[in-house]
Amino acid sequence: MADEPSVPTAVEAAFRQEAAVALATVARLTGDVQLAEDAIAEAHAAALESWPTAGIPDRPGAWITTVARNRALDVLRREARRGDLEQRAALALAGLEASPTVVAPVEDDQLQLLFTCCHPAFAPETRVALALRFVCGLRVPEIARVLLQGEEAVGKRIQRAKAKLRAAEIPLRLPPADLLPERVPSVLECVYLLFTEGYAATEGDAWVRTELCDEAVRLARLLARTLPDEPGASALAALVLLQDSRRSTRVDDEGHPLLLADQDRARWDRERIDEGLRWFRAARSHPEMSAGAAAFLVQAAIAAEHARAPTWERTDWPAIVACYDQLAHLTPSPVVLLNRAIAVSQADGPAVAQPLLVALADDPRLARSTALALALADVAERLGDVDAAGAHLVEAERRAATDAERAHVERRRRELGVP
Amino acid sequence: MHYLVLLYDTEANATTPGTTEFEAEMAGYLAFGELGGAAIVGGEALLPSELSRAIRISDGDVSVTDGPFTEAAEVLGGYYVLDVPTLDDAIELVRHIPATATGSSEIRPIEMLMPPSDGALPDGAQRYVATIHGTATEADVPGTDAWTERVAEHGRFLEGAGAAVAGGAAIHPSTTASTVRVRDGELLVTDGPFAEGAEVVGGFYLLTATPDAVVDVAAGIPTPQDGGIDVRPIMELDG
Repeated sequence: MADEPSVPTAVEAAFRQEAAVALATVARLTGDVQLAEDAIAEAHAAALESWPTAGIPDRPGAWITTVARNRALDVLRREARRGDLEQRAALALAGLEASPTVVAPVEDDQLQLLFTCCHPAFAPETRVALALRFVCGLRVPEIARVLLQGEEAVGKRIQRAKAKLRAAEIPLRLPPADLLPERVPSVLECVYLLFTEGYAATEGDAWVRTELCDEAVRLARLLARTLPDEPGASALAALVLLQDSRRSTRVDDEGHPLLLADQDRARWDRERIDEGLRWFRAARSHPEMSAGAAAFLVQAAIAAEHARAPTWERTDWPAIVACYDQLAHLTPSPVVLLNRAIAVSQADGPAVAQPLLVALADDPRLARSTALALALADVAERLGDVDAAGAHLVEAERRAATDAERAHVERRRRELGVP
Repeated sequence: MHYLVLLYDTEANATTPGTTEFEAEMAGYLAFGELGGAAIVGGEALLPSELSRAIRISDGDVSVTDGPFTEAAEVLGGYYVLDVPTLDDAIELVRHIPATATGSSEIRPIEMLMPPSDGALPDGAQRYVATIHGTATEADVPGTDAWTERVAEHGRFLEGAGAAVAGGAAIHPSTTASTVRVRDGELLVTDGPFAEGAEVVGGFYLLTATPDAVVDVAAGIPTPQDGGIDVRPIMELDG
């Protein structure tokens, strides 16, 4: 992507960068997400018309927010003149008329929008789609690709949710303190999902994925700063920052994924690691926390052990196994047990780990796991059984779901010297 | 903003008047009445579902059968109408309804057509709740022409039915429903109606009529093509 960005792309990029926060601010001013979305769409059309010739404004965010505010105000004033102003619209009109004529976007406004998107009255898969649409500013086709779902299904899901948001009057606000313990978990889960969707090395839309990781990190930070009494929020900030510190070293020059063991640790982002460790200590200082918060904290502890280790070999593997023991207790899942077994193969050797992995191979939920086949190949190789290792790699290749995974398996087969 | 709260539970959980369990349950509802105060616009307990009558209308023919419109393990045992600003306020009240701790309480946004009133009952008359059942159609989506037409139909029914209707509301589509349960003190909220399939759609009426006349009154309620009406007597607690 070394090409000079063409004019529309620069305009588009400048608009997108600011539009999501602008939407949140207009939504806060009007109390109406739908009205804000329509107003931002009008501001978008206006920007496409004027920016390519007049140039991108010095403060594009304030430009978008102000134009959208004015468009929303026009709509409501027209409705008021016709005399059919609903109660909701009357409140929105009063809110807009009380706002300054030039408005800057306010990042914190995105938090209340995030809480609305993650309201428990929405199904979990709807929450993620809404957050991608309204908080991250993605369009329906992009959301469909990120979630690996059909465009039509995603579009319908978002439409239905918008209708419910309006008809059932789901409030746009930060929940009061007494409701936070109930409402925070779904928000944290959603932000972590945004991060993992962005972090997953599937093909296509690389820039969307990069943007998603950045967004998730930004939102996690914002949550941790705004909710200092919620250990889950600081634990999540620690987790995503520590994992994200390795983002640029996760693939080699050809874009193939690199195992943690093979990554260039000198290129890990020290600033992110230090910030992640600060949030980690803040989260750990809370005497009590929910199981969900504890699960984020333990995962952050695992990421912290890797971040601290000078090399793969000199990693504190027994500490990581202990973390996985806690995680398996908090959130028992075959994937956690698989990762635990891989850590055991480092802490206690391949002979101890092999029976654990063989037992997991019977779990139907791991029947398509490339990672399990690779782990079985690894312990077999380290135990000197090259034939078995080769057979596991053949199985891994069969299971590989992406080109990147296939390339990785092929490289392992070359290293092992099996055809 | 008005919300209809439909209380679903197994009838095995129902208590019998005169028992201490019944008294304890009533105390729970009294406490809820105090908590809700003016936000509770209406609410009734219903008699057992075997006393329901199901009305189906197809091509002008009205057929009436004894028993509920849909057989289910968990049935409607009562309802509330709440007037609160947002869904959060509704959830905060609904979590304290005793039935939410044993069954499932479905919250539906409604457009109030006639606020429920409790005037004196004429001689021989009983109060009934009529719920419309069927598959949601375009007429269940506010803002569409079909919805406007449906609301107008309800308006005409209200005019024609006169004193026999003591309250009524148009109900938003079941996709706007949220279902609330409390188990072990923990609040569980889910997206959508309590039971998918033959859910309550379109509208909800409070009728005042004699047992003989109520079916004729209810048969005038606008219903979707494949749907029908469940008419259930209300449990009169004061009388």
